[in-house]
Amino acid sequence: MQPLIEARGLCKRFGGILAVDHLALSVQQGELVGLIGPNGSGKTTTINMLTGHLSPSAGEILLRGERSEGAAPSSFAARRVGRTFQITQLFSRMTVLENMLVPGLARPHSHRAEATRQARAHLEFLGLAKLEGLQAKNLSGGQQKLLELGRALMLDPEILFLDEPFAGVNPFLRDEIIGLIQKLHAEGRTFVIVDHDIEAIQRLVKRLVVMARGAKIADGAVEDVSHDPEVLRAYAGV
Amino acid sequence: MTRSLAGQAALIALAAVVAVIFPHLVNNYWLSVGITALFYAIVAASWALLVGYAGQFSFGQMAFVSMGAYTSGMLAKYYDVPIPLGIATGVVLCAITGCVIGYVCLRMRGPYLALFTVAFSEVLRIILVSEAEVTGGNGGLQIPSLFRGRSDLPYYYLGLVLLGGSLALMGWLVRSRWGLFFRAIRENEEAAAAAGVKVVRFRLLAFAIAAMFAGLAGGFFGHYVGILTPDIGSVDQMGLVVAMAVIGGPESLIAASIGAILVEFLLEALRAYEQWRLVLFALVLLLTVRFARNGLLALGADSVMRVFRRRDAATPARTA
Repeated sequence: MQPLIEARGLCKRFGGILAVDHLALSVQQGELVGLIGPNGSGKTTTINMLTGHLSPSAGEILLRGERSEGAAPSSFAARRVGRTFQITQLFSRMTVLENMLVPGLARPHSHRAEATRQARAHLEFLGLAKLEGLQAKNLSGGQQKLLELGRALMLDPEILFLDEPFAGVNPFLRDEIIGLIQKLHAEGRTFVIVDHDIEAIQRLVKRLVVMARGAKIADGAVEDVSHDPEVLRAYAGV
Repeated sequence: MTRSLAGQAALIALAAVVAVIFPHLVNNYWLSVGITALFYAIVAASWALLVGYAGQFSFGQMAFVSMGAYTSGMLAKYYDVPIPLGIATGVVLCAITGCVIGYVCLRMRGPYLALFTVAFSEVLRIILVSEAEVTGGNGGLQIPSLFRGRSDLPYYYLGLVLLGGSLALMGWLVRSRWGLFFRAIRENEEAAAAAGVKVVRFRLLAFAIAAMFAGLAGGFFGHYVGILTPDIGSVDQMGLVVAMAVIGGPESLIAASIGAILVEFLLEALRAYEQWRLVLFALVLLLTVRFARNGLLALGADSVMRVFRRRDAATPARTA
């Protein structure tokens, strides 16, 4: 079966540093994959390349079998690839509804009335409906995370890359975000989640990919990977 | 209709009435000041579109004014091209140049972008000074007038129509999805790209559209003044436009325009105080930047709207 997204021999070099080293990764439709690794292991760089925010130095990215490395982020978004950022990136001085409408109206052949209806439905789903007129900068940190997720949902994404969705959120909100991801996954959406919160990741995913020093060192079922000696050595320092 | 909406409509109607009857209340000198104010109002609004909405801090708007004025003026003078066609040609040339400048500046932000556009303005100004055989250099280039006769009245009403039309078009644009994308790019380019906005395309569009309106204002004003000098596109002139828009409110087209009109009239009204009027102007600018980052008019409008909204809230809802 053709993977939804696939990286072959993906490399990214920043000056003399090889941030991602010949990475091979494929994600099938409907998977929920955890991507973990110590700081500086190349996880965010990988996501940035797989969503068009960075051009690879070498290697291929195939989105539904189509070569896509070096394409603009908007091209990935138009092909239903959504993402959130390690540090929440919102349109701070725009309202919650306007934040949602940007991706809604950027989609080809979109109409404002329909985009507004979809935005309100997503805000309802995320529990932000009553805040639609508020400027994004006035939301709490957790609400901002949810809004960023909502904005990605406006692309009707087949695959969502979430970069540290649990960073800096309280346990209650973390459980809420886990519940939302599970619901969206049950609808058939594919997820790749980067986070340091191993407990949350293990609750969510069945497959774990582990990176260290820019290379993939393990890829498999959670229970197998979490006992892999190389993973324990590289990731947990054991 | 709520009181706040009614208040806005009443203010706009009042401004329109004052603008229409203004020439019949003043002498020729103040009419000329009015025409100049209308010119600056269009330029300040175009700068607000580029900077306040799209977040591209450019110092090149007066260079596009100069380009629009010289293109139309030289076409009319040397090739007898009808003036409206010359102005249209200037507008198109400004749009193309705006696109090129936008493309070259794609990776520039903040002070680097501002410096680049300053350099562009200076290059254009120096070319106009140097190519004196064609441009008239510092001595100026006499160009045909738009209207026959000695009255300034047709220029005033044309300026008013151009300002109204420009504000209506730019206002429509900023309320459309393009305006939403401009603001998204201003707020966060990376997030805008992730949301599917074609950032490069919309940055170029912002530069091109803002340049078009500046070129239009330049063409109109050039044919009103009748003599073009390279100083029209100088950094000093650009600084004045920035100050006008900042005092009015750089994130509102109307506030930036009103700021331009008020500053132009104030500077003329205080002319008797010679250099001290510039000190006063600088003080107003300093206080605005310190205490009203979104402009004095936006601050005033917010206060007025708050009063209207408070009254709306205090008025009991009518029951059927």
